[in-house]
This record gives sequence, C-alpha cells and structure tokens, in this order.
Amino acid sequence: MKWFRLLASLKLTLVGMILLVIGASLTYDNRLDVTMWVLVVPLALLALNLTAAIFTNQRINRQPGLLVFHIGLLSIIVLAAIGRLSFIDAHLEIAEGQGFTPDLLLETKQGPLHAGRLDKVRFVQGYYTVDYAEGMHRGLTNSQVLIPDERGQFTSKIVGDDRVLVLEGYRFYTTFNKGFSVVLTWLPDQGIPVTGRINLPSYPLYDYKQDNSWTPQGASPVKFWLQVNTGMREDAAWVLDARNSRGVLVVSHGDQRVELQVGESTRLEGGQLRYDRLSAWMGYKVYYDPTLRWLFFVSIIAVIGMGWHYWQVMGARLFPAEAQHQRSDEKSSAPTGGLANAGEDV
Amino acid sequence: MNAEGFATELPWMWSGLAAYALATLVAISGVVIQNAGGTSTRGGRSERLVLALLIAGVVLLAAAIAQRWVRIGHGPWISLFELLMSQLWSLGVIYAVAYWRMPRFRASAVVVLPVFWVLGSWLLTLEPKASHFPATYYNEWKWIHVFLGKVYLALLLIGVGLAGVMILRRFPRAARWFGSMPADDVVDRVAWRVMMLALVFDSLMLIAGAVWAQDAWGRYWSWDSLETSAFVTWLALGVGIHVRLTYRVAPWISGAIIIGIFVLAFTTYLGMPYVSPAAHKGMV
Repeated sequence: MKWFRLLASLKLTLVGMILLVIGASLTYDNRLDVTMWVLVVPLALLALNLTAAIFTNQRINRQPGLLVFHIGLLSIIVLAAIGRLSFIDAHLEIAEGQGFTPDLLLETKQGPLHAGRLDKVRFVQGYYTVDYAEGMHRGLTNSQVLIPDERGQFTSKIVGDDRVLVLEGYRFYTTFNKGFSVVLTWLPDQGIPVTGRINLPSYPLYDYKQDNSWTPQGASPVKFWLQVNTGMREDAAWVLDARNSRGVLVVSHGDQRVELQVGESTRLEGGQLRYDRLSAWMGYKVYYDPTLRWLFFVSIIAVIGMGWHYWQVMGARLFPAEAQHQRSDEKSSAPTGGLANAGEDV
Repeated sequence: MNAEGFATELPWMWSGLAAYALATLVAISGVVIQNAGGTSTRGGRSERLVLALLIAGVVLLAAAIAQRWVRIGHGPWISLFELLMSQLWSLGVIYAVAYWRMPRFRASAVVVLPVFWVLGSWLLTLEPKASHFPATYYNEWKWIHVFLGKVYLALLLIGVGLAGVMILRRFPRAARWFGSMPADDVVDRVAWRVMMLALVFDSLMLIAGAVWAQDAWGRYWSWDSLETSAFVTWLALGVGIHVRLTYRVAPWISGAIIIGIFVLAFTTYLGMPYVSPAAHKGMV
C-alpha cells in the first residue's frame, strides 16, 4: 500500500522528531500555559510513522536489533499514554497515630481511567525524624509507618526520601512538608467530649508562624499559636524529632489569651479546652502508575536492541574502522570533500 | 579565591590541568609542525607524550577528587566546581583510551583537547567551597546515571574531534595538518558510529535517571528544564542519525551537526542545573 509506505517515510520521521523538539522546547520548565497537544501530536505522528516503518522498512524489519529498538520505542509511547490515562499524583498530610484513608488526599491529579485500589491501602503513621546539617540543609528523613497484615498485626517499616512505601501499587514518598500538630480535647458544657488535632504550618519552613485556628461548635473562632522548642539551630547539625520537642500552646479567644502546657486546660465560651499533647504530621507525595515496571523493562530491551544492532554494525569490535580504513583509504584519493552515502549504516 | 581546599585538592587539580594543557600544546605542535609541509606523517614520539600527559592529568585529577572527597565527605556530585573537576577526569580517562586505541585518528586531539582547556579555565574561576549532600543522592541509581552520562559525553567529545577535522579540512592549510588521518568518508562513518554508541549510553543514562527520579522525587519524568534539555539532546542525536540516513550530507555539514549536538549536551550537562529555577536545581 502506497500510503502506508508514505507513512513510513524517513522524512516524516524527521518532521515528527523536529515537531517533538519544538513541542518539548515549548513545555520548557514545565510551563502550565502550554497545551499538552504540542507533545501529543508529534508523538502520535511518530507512533504512526514507527508502526508503518516497522512493517514496511526492510532496513528495520530485517535487522533484529533495529527491529527490537523500534518496537521498543513504539511500546514506550503506548505505555506512556496508558500511564497518563491511569496515573494518580496527589499529596497528603497524615498525623502521628492516624490511619490512612483515601479522603486524606489533597491536590489530586489523575488520569480519566484510573482504577487503582486506593481503598485497600492501609497504614498508620508513626513517629519521624529529620536530620539537618549545619546551615539548615535537610538530610535524611526516617518516617515510621505501621502496616497491618491479614491477622491484624502491625509491621513497622522506616521509609523516607528514596526509601518509598509501596502499597497496592501506590507509592508514598516523604516530602519536605511536615510539621507539628497539637492534640486537643473539647469538653463542652453540654454534650460529649471530643478529641482531635490541629495541624500547624510546615516546620521549620514556617517556624516563625506556627499558628492556626479552630471554631468550636456554637462558639466563636479560637486562635492557636505554638511556641515550640525543637533544638533547631543554624550553626550546627540537629535532628527534628517531635518526641524530643516541647511546645507551649498560646490560645487566643476574643480578649482572652492564655498559655497552656501539655495537660493544662482553659475555660472558653461554651466549654473547656484541654491541650493533651504535642504531636507531628508528615506530608507525603502519592504516585500511582501501573506502567512503571513495564516502561523500565521495555526501555532496557529497546536499548539492548540498539546495542545489538551497533554490535553487528561494528563487527563486535570497539573501533573497527581501524581495520577498515585501509580499504577506504584506497578508494578515496583526496583527504577532503566527498559525500557521505545516504542510507549507509552508522 | 576562597582558602578552602588549598591544603588538599587544589594543588593536585592545578597539576592535573597543567598536564592537560601540556598535552594540548604537544598535540597541536605535533600535528601542525610535523604536517606543515604537506607530508602526511604521524608523530610517534609526540603522540606518546600526549598520551603520557593525558594519563598524568587523569591521575592527578583523580588525586584531587579523592582529596576533596575525604575533606568534604562526599563525591563530586553537587556543585559546578565538583562536576567540572569530575568531568575533566572522566573525559580524560575515556579520551585517553580512545587516543590509545584509535591511532589513525589521533590528530583530532587538536580539536578535542582545547575543549579541556575551556573546561579547565572555567574550573579555575570557581570557588572550591564544600557543598551539601542531599538525602536523595544516597540512591544507588545516581552512580549508574552519572557513569553512563560520563561515557555519553566523552563519546560525544570524540565525535566532536572527528567532526572538527571534517570542518577544518575545508581550509587548505588545516587540511594538511590532518593528512595522516583517513579520508573524510571514513572519518564521517567513524564519527557517526561513535555518535550512535553515544545514543546507546544517552538512552541508558536517561533510563537510569528516570529510575532515580522515580525513587527520589516520586516521578520518572516531569519536563523540568534539565529533563527537557536532555530529551531535546537525545532527539537531536536521533535527528542527526536519521538525517544522515535520509540525505547525502557533506562531511563538513555532518561535522557541524555533531558539534551542534555536543553543544546541546554540554549545555544540558553543565548549564541547565545552574541556571534554571526548576526542580532539578533544588536537587543539586
């Protein structure tokens, strides 16, 4: 079929590649105002071109190495497309002692065909520590997670940085975003006591404004400010660890201002507020893409194909031109000029 | 310049750069003077001296890197100073092997070695102050990614040497310098074979980098400036190979394409992480 051969044209390959260079350049620095079609269109064109070339171009389909490489490239495009349709990318903040639930996810971006089993993911956040080097450079994060098994027993695991928590295909990464939370109990004048926690801004990024607010049912807003002592210092290494930190909670309600130590209470409009303990929360990035493993294997196989082809072209020698140049020298009388042969193997 | 490093890596580094500089001078004098009369000769003695100086440079720079490693507690992964020093070392190692194994192409050193000068001069302008080692750099894939990247850039540099010869041969006087090298069609074919090998290593480098990025930052690709630039360079390599397969390209144009690809790779490697405010910069 003539049109199929036209579709397999090397010139079309060049057009597709140049369009992809332009598309990639337009998305430079991940610009959000550029449509994804600048990448999708050239990739689709190249996928069609590759498909046609694999079937019709004998230089490709009669050389096993090149064939493997080009099928690998096509597979990468297809897998990347499947990945974009089924991925999920989100963040969450989870407090010490809190169990994971899907409704914790924030800023969720996901493909239209995402069909993971997020509801099956179970873990409880434990303590965490973060090492800081002199000059406030963040070092290793060690975050304990407790993972239940089928018998209801919990297994402790330390994750952090590139030690990823993978559950049901979902990958949980610790982030720089973490901080303190205060556990409070509201004892209303009428009704039952309620215990909850209030997360404070990221620490030490916002160490100067560890504040938040909360509105008890039927009362006016209460403002909180935590004076926290973590041992933080800029001129030496230190470790952020909520277990070794102390915090005085400043509670402001109307004209009333009171400082609470752990275990102390204050009387507010409609009830009593007790400061139970200082706790911490960890921010995770959540990522899911079912094609990840396949992408890796296909990429490696594609490169092996290219290497195989190269090995054949080079006659299994690193620099065979050394062996061949004599022959070529005899054919070429002049040291300059002459055109490279179009279509010769490189 | 900051006093940091004076008692440790700097004397070794200066000695290594001096060895590379001498290698360049010997290579240029060997090629230009011996072939000035138009006779195609290869200077065996000067070539051996160039190789010896290259090896000396590599050994001295290795000592400088080791001294710094001991001083600051981590390898040359982070600052531009470290990356340049490490790059000069790895380019030296791989180019020395190529120089040894490709005797008929040794005259191309007059194009390659000045690139070492550019890098070396740049290195001398930088402060050797200690850098912070981020937590995500403990990942083992970093080693694989960096190793593959070093081989890739060195192969491009070998290609640049051959490309430079094809371009310089357009000038009659310079053509005489390279009389000892094979004809342009052979140089061109070898240059593109080296570029194809570079494509293999570039692809592997991108894969290893993607695995590292997935482990360390939760995404294998995010189109940040460094990734985009690396991808554009990979595509440019592919375009170059396909152009050569599709059209009859004059050797000097072929050489210009190779040099263009090297410039892109060079900018990606040693420019992008330091000029862009994107994620990768935060990671270095």
